[in-house]
Amino acid sequence: MRRLPWARTVFWLYGITLMLPLLWMFGMSIRPNQDILGSFQLIPQRVTFDNYVTFFTDSVWYSSYLNSIVYTSMNAVMSLVIALPAAYAFSRFRFAGDKHLFFWLLTNRMAPPAVFLLPFFQIYQAVGLFDTHLGVAVAHMLFNVPLAVWILEGFMSGIPREIDETAAIDGYSLPRFFVRIFLPMIRSAIGVTLFFCFMFSWVELLIARTITSVNAKPIAATMTRTVSAAGVDWGLLAAAGVLTIVPGAIVIWFVRNYIAKGFSLGRV
Amino acid sequence: MTAALPSRTEQRREQRTERRTRRTRRTAPSAEDRAPGKRRANRAWLLVLPVVVSVAFTAVIPLMTVVNYSVQDIFSPNDRIFVGLEWFRSVARDPEVRAAFVRTLLFSAQVLLLEIPLGVAVAVVMPRRGLGAPAALVLVALPLLIPWNVVGTIWQIFARPDIGLGGWTVNNVLGLDYNYTLDAGDAWITVLVMDVWHWTPLVALLAYAGLRSIPGPYFQAAQIDGASAWATFRHIQLPRLRGVLTIAILLRFMDSFMIYTEPFVVTGGGPGNATSFLSILLSKIAVGQFDLGPAGAFSLLYFLAVQIVCYVFFTVLTRTGR
Amino acid sequence: MFEWMVWTGPTAAVFAGLGLLLCAMTIWARVSPPVPRRGFLRIETDRGDRLYIGLISGAAVLAGWIAVTDLSMWLALAAAFLVVLAIGIWG
Repeated sequence: MRRLPWARTVFWLYGITLMLPLLWMFGMSIRPNQDILGSFQLIPQRVTFDNYVTFFTDSVWYSSYLNSIVYTSMNAVMSLVIALPAAYAFSRFRFAGDKHLFFWLLTNRMAPPAVFLLPFFQIYQAVGLFDTHLGVAVAHMLFNVPLAVWILEGFMSGIPREIDETAAIDGYSLPRFFVRIFLPMIRSAIGVTLFFCFMFSWVELLIARTITSVNAKPIAATMTRTVSAAGVDWGLLAAAGVLTIVPGAIVIWFVRNYIAKGFSLGRV
Repeated sequence: MTAALPSRTEQRREQRTERRTRRTRRTAPSAEDRAPGKRRANRAWLLVLPVVVSVAFTAVIPLMTVVNYSVQDIFSPNDRIFVGLEWFRSVARDPEVRAAFVRTLLFSAQVLLLEIPLGVAVAVVMPRRGLGAPAALVLVALPLLIPWNVVGTIWQIFARPDIGLGGWTVNNVLGLDYNYTLDAGDAWITVLVMDVWHWTPLVALLAYAGLRSIPGPYFQAAQIDGASAWATFRHIQLPRLRGVLTIAILLRFMDSFMIYTEPFVVTGGGPGNATSFLSILLSKIAVGQFDLGPAGAFSLLYFLAVQIVCYVFFTVLTRTGR
Repeated sequence: MFEWMVWTGPTAAVFAGLGLLLCAMTIWARVSPPVPRRGFLRIETDRGDRLYIGLISGAAVLAGWIAVTDLSMWLALAAAFLVVLAIGIWG
């Protein structure tokens, strides 16, 4: 197709602008605090990894990082397992109230988490899930189950229904067909769904902070409470920021072609 | 007149083929498609049951509780008074809530006005072939995968006049007096620029996916006609982007309408109330002051607004092109 | 166990009413399946869609009313009911 002659240049300029704030934070994370608060330097004069060392030796920091990883993983798996049969049903059958149900799921994905804060706080205390990993994982299913259903349904609808019928003629029962034939066919969809559940749970702060205090405190909450008497520890904060980007940055290469699909709930 | 006629019929034919391709494209909205192949089977409810149960626990019971809060003045579970619709009246007339509502709407409008054109522009110049294509995808997608509070941290650092590259540049190179912790206007601009930085990539990726689905012959035809780059964009690319742009606009509206984490980290809603959006105000009333009644009424009004927009979203998404 | 839900009579009645409405719609759909059509809303709706749109619009009427006037909420309720009916019949 026709390309504008300067398209490439414009794009890479945009790319550099996009990366600047990120690189700046990385720069902050590898210099000592005196240098950060001292005179303004474009390039770090003294490079140190003390901030990272502090992160991995201070139990408040690394344990909240682990907390986040534990509950996001639990949440991703639970959401996926629950969503798989439902997405199959939505993509293959018509049943009473199907589209209303499908819409109702969407409203949960779109609802502001702030609305659910107080009842969540009460519920999780009443049922003994307050400040547990399972509690946060269940709470995040509020938006991740709908997300998973919508994404999976988007993928499954792209698979022709004739395959189901052929399998039925060959004598496969529905559960056996689903596990033996269908699941392998939608491998990439499962990966993408897991990734998006993981990510949306990983980035969420408001609910996770409200229903935890110590044992399951997420990294995001630790990061927003770094102001001490001595002021903000910018270097450590930046190091924590860099480390929380790492999981996403590792997986991004594998899901690069599906990011638009995932964010648009499987509609693109 | 006679010269215009064939082009118009041509256009109509193009529209017709476009509609036909959209119907057969596997990217079309699907769940409620009345596709002939879908079997009617109410037993499918069994497959949906786990989802219904889980969402009932995480959404329905909490919402019922919010409704109960909103009509009472609660001191403790056993010491509470039924007050009817009083909280709704006071919340709906609270100048602070109204200001936050207007502020949030204004923010969403600005976000859409900036991010949609910018995102489409980025998508148009994004490399589509060669090694540059996957690299560009990863580069553009990266901001989307950063935890929201870290996006806040990044900009909190980047925009500081003393230690941040952005804030320092504006003050010392452009010579403007800029400090987002003191000046309301600066704080607003910081939050807006942050959102544009964070979410324009989403619009770009969606538009890019849309552009890639345009069949090559369209461009070859334009090339033979000697169409300019702008004409190609205006008459071939833009019309084909309608579907993805609808999704982009509605997603961006919903998410900016409930924005919380990023401005909370950067400005905490301040200075004053300059950036206290609906979610920030609501969580202040709910968690900060633990005012169950007003928070409940506020939540329900907020939820109602979201429901309405969401229904429009759903309708547009599933019924366009029919 | 459910003390923290702080139920009151009126809210319980509202939710019971909604539950009954849902059951009634399900039974009605069994007796005579809904037929999608187009009304003044200009989109294809069946009766479930119209009920939902009607209820949401009714709630919007109530919210707008309480934000703007001091007139009795019973009037607002009547107006909301009319909206639900209008959308249900001609929507």
